Amino acid sequence: MSITNETTPAAGGAWVSKEEFLGCVKLTDWILLLILFLVLLGSFHIHYMLLAGDWDFWIDFKDRRMWPTVAPIVAMCFAAAAQSFFWQKFRLPFGATLAVFALLVGEWINRYDNFWGWTFFPINLVFPSALIPMGFWLDVVLLLSGSWVVTAVVGAMGWGLLFYPSNWPVLAQYHQATEVDGVLLTLADLIGFNYVRTGTPEYIRMIERGTLRTFGKDVVPVAAFFSGFVSMLVYFLWWKVGGWFSTTAYLENDEI
Amino acid sequence: MKRSILQQMAHTCGYAGRALALGAAAVVALLTFSAAPAAAHGERSQQAFLRMRTLNWYDVKWSKTSLNVNEEMELTGKVHVFSGWPQAVAKPQEAFLNVGEPGPVLIRKSASVGEVPVPRTFSMDVGYDYEYKIVLKARRPGRYHVHVQINVKDGGPIVGPGEWIEIKGDMKDFTNPVTLLDGSTIDLESYGINWTYLYHFVWMAAALVWILYWFLQKGIIVRGWQVAAGKRNEIITPEDKRFGGLWLAVAMLALLFFYANANREFPRTLPMQAGLLTGIPFIEDSRRETVAVHYSGGSYKVPGRELTVNLQITNKGQEPLRVGEFTTAGLRFLNPDVFTTRPVFPDYLLADRGLSVSDPSPIAPGETKNLVITVQDARFDVERLSDLAYDTDSQFGGLLFLFSPSGKREKVEIGGPVIPKFQLGATL
Repeated sequence: MSITNETTPAAGGAWVSKEEFLGCVKLTDWILLLILFLVLLGSFHIHYMLLAGDWDFWIDFKDRRMWPTVAPIVAMCFAAAAQSFFWQKFRLPFGATLAVFALLVGEWINRYDNFWGWTFFPINLVFPSALIPMGFWLDVVLLLSGSWVVTAVVGAMGWGLLFYPSNWPVLAQYHQATEVDGVLLTLADLIGFNYVRTGTPEYIRMIERGTLRTFGKDVVPVAAFFSGFVSMLVYFLWWKVGGWFSTTAYLENDEI
Repeated sequence: MKRSILQQMAHTCGYAGRALALGAAAVVALLTFSAAPAAAHGERSQQAFLRMRTLNWYDVKWSKTSLNVNEEMELTGKVHVFSGWPQAVAKPQEAFLNVGEPGPVLIRKSASVGEVPVPRTFSMDVGYDYEYKIVLKARRPGRYHVHVQINVKDGGPIVGPGEWIEIKGDMKDFTNPVTLLDGSTIDLESYGINWTYLYHFVWMAAALVWILYWFLQKGIIVRGWQVAAGKRNEIITPEDKRFGGLWLAVAMLALLFFYANANREFPRTLPMQAGLLTGIPFIEDSRRETVAVHYSGGSYKVPGRELTVNLQITNKGQEPLRVGEFTTAGLRFLNPDVFTTRPVFPDYLLADRGLSVSDPSPIAPGETKNLVITVQDARFDVERLSDLAYDTDSQFGGLLFLFSPSGKREKVEIGGPVIPKFQLGATL
């Protein structure tokens, strides 16, 4: 970390030396980063689990229509809010990446410790959605454009479009076909069937339900474009929410 | 030596941080090791009328109660979809044959209803009986309570009888071989897991590099001061933008590579399969009416755990019949005059002397007889069927089995409103 004299405000009498001051700033930076990381991890995790829920928990819910529609839209909320905070307050272009990275750290702890460690669901049933490439896209669009409006339009559309390709490298292997007692299943279906979930009956899956079927079997592009479009709207809203949450309010002395 | 406030804070934080970390680790360890295994699946918490008047389970059998890891067993039986299905619960137009167990301690290798494989949701009709079979394969050592269960959409899980199953061995030895349509065989227990970890953690490592790249330049606070000082447009340099553009290009190329590689490695993939299975065959003699029953009222003595029902039974068959068993909500109440030997069934659900009949003599062919049937056992209370008295729909339901001298069994559905009696000696 480099801090020049130019950027260093007057230390005043609280510091023994300039080095001590800079050391304190550096230490506080790390503490701040850790706190922000943990806050994002916890809050984004709760948000995502409540809104994406089963779509993110189970491999046999990750279909071509509902999952790539819902997951990016609900993930956009915290990514936009985090970008708003880090960009407007600090000109740091890592808000979206930090948000999804924190979410994934939390999710992997949850999936490994709870789903596998306690309940013994195999990881290939419960791995989370990959979101990091979308975070890079959103951050770099903001970095290059310097405009939240451009990020909302270009970044959010890319965010929606990139979701399925970001996950396909892992998902493809589980969409190979097999046959059980004369019934055609993908491996994803079979994992869900084999590994019993007492509270998750098959009928609560929403596999490619909907009405937009104009493009034949090309379900994903339609879902991805729709998701990108809604993500734009969500971005606009949550950029403002992020700004609102990161507003510093001061109390007057006589109010204290 | 004089120390600044921040120095003192840092010093204190060092000890406090270590203590906090140790404490947190201890709490996590304590919570992890004290987690007790689940021994039941909440079936007793379901309202009594719901368990009695939705699905009536009978002939439930567990082919084994002790098995080794990788060994298979069958859970079989029949289920009657009660004609007086409660209005408060959605009918089983969409249902799923499930297993009540604490996690996938046994995996479900196959499941069928009426000999139709049911890896997905199927439809059942009210008033009919269905035969089911679930093949389970032992995975995790331990002793577990394993139930049959049918989940009904908008109705919830309806849990059938459960039995303790002992699994021996080591989970590390467990395999789940599956043959793909291309003829190759994989072990689904571990298939693709290493690649999943690698793919995710490579991207997460890249994310960490991206975050640290920006953080290590000037941190957070200094940037905040610069922004506050109106220098926000000077913080991001052209080099920063070049780096960002390059970073994104590399990331997108990597993604393209991973994507293309997946398509090359798995050229034939299918979308997930789903859809409702209809036309599941029911048991042929589901609606056979060898016995006709007219229910003419009943009562439930709450303190005595005693259900008394008045029935007018007509024998339309060729052989004399005797009332031998009443089953409801997975419980079996037997008439000891008919069942001279105790059948194999989980003890907590089997009241082998729980049923008595006012007139023990057989009902002759063509005869109509008025009988008072009394069902009494502590299990009624233990399984919380006594709570029927407090339900919004105080109607009982269940199956009555009658037996002929040749051993033939006739099944008939009974049910209707019952009047609770909260004090001993009270009359209807």
